[in-house]
Amino acid sequence: MNRDTRDPHPGPGTAAASRRRSLGFLARFVGFLVLFYLAVSNRPVNDAVIVPFTAWIASVSGGILNLLGESVEVGGTELSAPGFAVNIENGCNGVETALLFSSAVLAFPAPWRRRLVGLLLGFLAIQALNFVRVVTLFWVGLHRPALFNSSHTVLWQSAVVLFGVLLFLFWAAREKRWRAAPAESGVRRG
Amino acid sequence: MTRRAPRLLLGFLFGLVLWAALSRPYEPLLAGGAGLLLSAFESPDVTRLAAEGGGIRVERRDFPPRSPRPVLPAADLHFNFVLLVALFALGPALPPAARLGRFLIALSLLFLIHAAALLFQVESVYATALGPWSEAHYGAVARNFWAGGFHFYQIAGRFAAPFVLWWALGRGEAEAESAASAPGPPRRQQKKKRKRS
Repeated sequence: MNRDTRDPHPGPGTAAASRRRSLGFLARFVGFLVLFYLAVSNRPVNDAVIVPFTAWIASVSGGILNLLGESVEVGGTELSAPGFAVNIENGCNGVETALLFSSAVLAFPAPWRRRLVGLLLGFLAIQALNFVRVVTLFWVGLHRPALFNSSHTVLWQSAVVLFGVLLFLFWAAREKRWRAAPAESGVRRG
Repeated sequence: MTRRAPRLLLGFLFGLVLWAALSRPYEPLLAGGAGLLLSAFESPDVTRLAAEGGGIRVERRDFPPRSPRPVLPAADLHFNFVLLVALFALGPALPPAARLGRFLIALSLLFLIHAAALLFQVESVYATALGPWSEAHYGAVARNFWAGGFHFYQIAGRFAAPFVLWWALGRGEAEAESAASAPGPPRRQQKKKRKRS
């Protein structure tokens, strides 16, 4: 029999334990977030990792924009075209969402191998969306400059962060299924 | 994910409309709240904050009368309201009245976070952007504290705050009970352990 062994009406003890685990997750999440923030805001790390990474994002985005028919030049972290230029900084390179996602995945109770796979795939997905953001924002700045500020601050930043949260929830739900699978097979054998 | 994504998108669009409608009336409230916090850190209490055309104008009584007044962009501080609305749109497990009640609590806490962030921003302007005056009035530790605190809000805090508030308040008990919060061994093993004991 494939029977669900969970209690449909968890008692106050179970609810309190669940609350404790939930708060434990939040405490670990904030701890990882502060650690990651201290790491990326450190000047040598910023110069050796974040700036070259951001320059790579600028270079790839410039390539995509040129493929789309724009005439874009890339210099370091700056994209420029006749009439518009933008410098990609922290907040536009996807690092902030990657920090959030990584902190949540690491704070979540799961085997390390699955955490690492989640981190890698999540980072790639976030960066893929971030290329769409940079290319779109540059196009908006070039052709619809009046819409640039609102698109930059509110629309795209929120969209990328929500995408990161959605990825985390998706990963966490899969993790739940992976964890439940051995328990269910155990019930069947019994 | 396929069930959650449309809810998140609808919540995001609803949040955008609400934010666009409410941000201008919200900014005087935010300036007032942050002003109260600032007065706790200032002696004498010389700073007045006022909402002005999408920004927060910083007025100090001891500024030279003809010097320009800093105006800080307000949207950067409070656009994470949109994230909070979108995340609360995800929570399916609570009755509507309870969800509204928790949303209002989360909004109140987000207001406090915004006021604290504005306090850090004003103090970081004082500590780092006013040249010799900053150096005369703020030591190295104070400069790093205020500027670092506001930088943390810009890079991580403003995105993390809605997530933390939603995680703590916006998810239903049933969802909290599920694996999104729970590690631990499978239930069957727990039963066995109890029998042995």
